Amino acid sequence: MKNVKVWDPLIRIFHWSLVICFISNALITDPESQLHRQIGYVVVGLVAFRIIWGFVGSRHARFRDFPPSISGSVGQLSDMATGRKRIHVGHTPLGALMIYNLIVTLIGIAITGYIMTTLRFWGIEWVKELHEICVTWAEFSVVAHIAAVVWESRRTGVNLPKAMVTGSKTLPTEV
Amino acid sequence: MSSKTKPDKTTIGLLALIVTQSACSVFFLSDAVADIIADGMAALNDVHLHVEMVATLSLIVAVILEGRFLVRLLRRNAHAERGLSIASGALHDLMEQYFHEWGLTPSEADVATFAIKGLDIAEIAEVRGTAEGTVKAHLNAIYRKSGTSGRGALLGLLVDDLLAQPLIERKEPPKDVPKASGLA
Ligand code: HEM
Ligand code: HEM
Repeated sequence: MKNVKVWDPLIRIFHWSLVICFISNALITDPESQLHRQIGYVVVGLVAFRIIWGFVGSRHARFRDFPPSISGSVGQLSDMATGRKRIHVGHTPLGALMIYNLIVTLIGIAITGYIMTTLRFWGIEWVKELHEICVTWAEFSVVAHIAAVVWESRRTGVNLPKAMVTGSKTLPTEV
Repeated sequence: MSSKTKPDKTTIGLLALIVTQSACSVFFLSDAVADIIADGMAALNDVHLHVEMVATLSLIVAVILEGRFLVRLLRRNAHAERGLSIASGALHDLMEQYFHEWGLTPSEADVATFAIKGLDIAEIAEVRGTAEGTVKAHLNAIYRKSGTSGRGALLGLLVDDLLAQPLIERKEPPKDVPKASGLA
């Protein structure tokens, strides 16, 4: 077994702050309250930071380290179908697709949420509808995200949630 | 190290279909749930909702079936790196049939395929990204479940079966080629 440093502290702070903010706004806060919007703007800030960090951050935080890749994703699916274990130090190809999906969806939530508060779009039904659709999609994605993290942790024997807390992945030394 | 072979069009098309239909299922299902929450039990008397639910459920069943088909396709492609000859197709089908009968796990089936192809333990471990001890454990499970004593016996089983039935169906000669020149 060897420990490999993967996620820098800022990525981890970003992740768990996002988790708290998203759950608050999706399940806890009153959508009509000021607090809902304030937390929403924190999410905007977090996502903006993450995008910048995707270009200038540490090695595995950069988008270049996990480009969207269909052939990589099919390769990972083949590994699952055949029970092979290819260890990815950073994000896996399917994980990468989920991250881009989450980030784009969060931007969609933020834009529709914001324009609902502007005078021009106040009370217009389709904007609210769109906000809700984006939120529903994000909730479904988060459930899939958590299921995938648990599944991949069990399949590969690398505890991914722990890595998102401590920053280090424990990898088997044989590979 | 990621696989260098490009995924074929069928795989990508199937994946796209699964993703799209899953997304649709999520929205139809959340819509139906929202209706039930909003209207309570009264919603259950709504014929419209029934039709929607039937459509959504059949969509979900379709996604599951497509998923199973995708798994089979991925396995087949993962084992057919040397091109899809008729012979390897027939052998592959036969192997899959046996693996299913013996109740091999996906990992064991993968190891068995490589063992039959003649890879040694170190090579299998390399391809699969696992330790050699893991491969040995898989091999033991394969021999136990198949009731064979080792690699030779396993291979013998398959060869016996392959020889018992014609491997390649005789095909009619292509029409546009004159028969006489076929002998040249
Ligand atoms: C992670 C981010 C967010 C989540 C998970 C979220 C979630 C939600 C949910 C679940 C609703 C209730 C929809 C309904 O059933 O009526 C809602 C409504 C709303 N959200 Fe957000 N939201 C987020 C960000 C934002 C942002 C950034 C803003 C604005 C700056 C915003 C403004 C609103 C407004 C104005 C409503 C409508 C309240 C009403 O009049 O009913 N949201 N949001
Ligand atoms: C208890 C719930 C959660 C757990 C255990 C969890 C766990 C993880 C783990 C282990 C990773 C790293 C994946 C990898 O190794 O490739 C990750 C990444 C990520 N998760 Fe979560 N997650 C949770 C909830 C959420 C929620 C609610 C959101 C947002 C809406 C979210 C958004 C993300 C994003 C954007 C990344 C990418 C990280 C980056 O590179 O910036 N997660 N999560």
